Amino acid sequence: MPIANFTIYLFTMFGIYALFAMSLNLQVGYAGLVNFGQVAFFALGAYTSALLVVKAGLPIAVGIIAGMLASGFFGCLLAWPTKSLKSDYWAITTLAAGEVIRLFALNEKWLTEGPFGVMNIPQPLEGLIDKYYNIFYFIFVLIVVAVVYMLLSMLTDSPFGRNLKAIRDAEDLSKSLGKNTQKIKVQVMAIGGLVAGLAGAIFAHYMVYISPENFRPLETFLIWGMIIVGGRANNRGAILGAVVIQTFYVSTRFVGNYVPIGSDLMSAARMIVIGLLMVSFLIFRPEGLLRERKKTYPDEV
Amino acid sequence: MEISQIIVNSLIRGAELSLLAIGLTMVYDILGFANFAHTEFAAFGAFLGFTFNSLLGINLLLSVVLAALLTGLIGILLDLSIFEKLRARNAKTLTMMIITMGMGIAIRNISRLIWTSSTKNFPMPLLQPLKILGARITRVQLGILFIAAISMVAFHLLLHHTKFGKALRAISDNKELARASAIDSAKMVQWMWFVAYSYAVIGGTMLAIEHLLYPRLGFDIIIPVFCAAILGGIGNPYGAVLGALTLGFAENVIISLDFGPLFSLGGLFDVGSLQLSTGYKPAISFMILILVLLIKPTGILGEN
Repeated sequence: MPIANFTIYLFTMFGIYALFAMSLNLQVGYAGLVNFGQVAFFALGAYTSALLVVKAGLPIAVGIIAGMLASGFFGCLLAWPTKSLKSDYWAITTLAAGEVIRLFALNEKWLTEGPFGVMNIPQPLEGLIDKYYNIFYFIFVLIVVAVVYMLLSMLTDSPFGRNLKAIRDAEDLSKSLGKNTQKIKVQVMAIGGLVAGLAGAIFAHYMVYISPENFRPLETFLIWGMIIVGGRANNRGAILGAVVIQTFYVSTRFVGNYVPIGSDLMSAARMIVIGLLMVSFLIFRPEGLLRERKKTYPDEV
Repeated sequence: MEISQIIVNSLIRGAELSLLAIGLTMVYDILGFANFAHTEFAAFGAFLGFTFNSLLGINLLLSVVLAALLTGLIGILLDLSIFEKLRARNAKTLTMMIITMGMGIAIRNISRLIWTSSTKNFPMPLLQPLKILGARITRVQLGILFIAAISMVAFHLLLHHTKFGKALRAISDNKELARASAIDSAKMVQWMWFVAYSYAVIGGTMLAIEHLLYPRLGFDIIIPVFCAAILGGIGNPYGAVLGALTLGFAENVIISLDFGPLFSLGGLFDVGSLQLSTGYKPAISFMILILVLLIKPTGILGEN
């Protein structure tokens, strides 16, 4: 059954990364806020949930919700100094924030166990279902993805979503229409944080073990690759991108079995492809595989 | 730590960061986007220099010059093949910035593929450090300061006493007017990439000589270099130098400060000596960056 198990693992990871990519897509695709440190939110969700459950003995549901809230709060906090500034500043502050969260996880051993990571993270309902646990977890992830997809679609189809696109395309114009664009930016960072935190918490309880190694900047670049390839301002694009990039990323692991190339070089080659994919897509097909769906209104007569 | 030692360390750090920040700020000024691949090219160039020096046995200075020229050429080629087309298409500066991020990932991993992840040391003669007013400084560090100073003067002369510099400043002031005055801005932009990347390679090599050379070097210095450029006022090369020196001092002072007395509230609590753990050294530039953005996002030399 190794192939079946591997397939279920792969599909569970599709789901986790789809959530993660949708969180970035909300900020980048809809609101035009460049976030190069999204992994910080993923890490915060993962660590908060894992530590509350492992060290404080709280129920897993509480851990996951706390992880989401911690991440969402961090989004607000990070948006505060940059909310009135251009996107370049968002890019650099989020990149830096991602590194600071990782440094914290690495250095504060009393809390996070530093480089050793948090072990034996409990899984939901693990005593009740044992034989087909991975299938159960996959279905759980699938339901979460479906719910988040629906909620985000409702959000982006609402007036709030139109406000986001207005900020992305013409911030001054939407300001002149009396929109409080700074407040909206803080809100969108918080919502993106909630979703990324949820993805992180689900990841932690799936992997059972997390360490700062799981939250390298590489993760941020991977989900950037996902939304650029899949298509921005389109949640289906984010999900498609997660499937495409994750399949490529995981399947190249097996190339090592046939080609004599070290794992370090293999992962370098893999990231070169992802970097070049990002560049080529932005040049030759900037909208990604799935286009943004633009609502058209009938001309007034 | 001796005050003179703090000054020496800060000057060296500031000198290295300035050479990197100049190019970043120039590209931002002329083309309007933040180049997230900037420091990656610096590391790539440092690897080229290392290869010329230690594998081909070319003299160190000549190796660095060759690496700087080569990386500058790559900058021109990338402008011709990618950025010029995007400019012609009126692509958003946001798109260009994200492209540089993708490019940075590719370059960093190309270095990893060619030179592997293992750290490398520039072969340097081991000599007794000199003592100046109680501060220890190696001959290599003196060389770094000397070359950085020459590079700065050369940059100033380039900007003010050459046709390229005048044209560049004209484009920076007013693009339309520069075009109306028959300035070939496409050509000037290519030269600008050349200068930006050449300077970045000199700075990157200095950092690699003083510490270590590894593929992630470019990523590890991206935040301090951006911080220096923003602190000085983004778009202003003199501001970038000022910002780099300020950041160099801030980093070294904060690392050597004892926060114990501050938290003991005048001897009320006994907290002993309390220094910032060196594990957090990379976070200092982030904190300074946030402070600058909160207080004066236009930087020291920026207009309000």
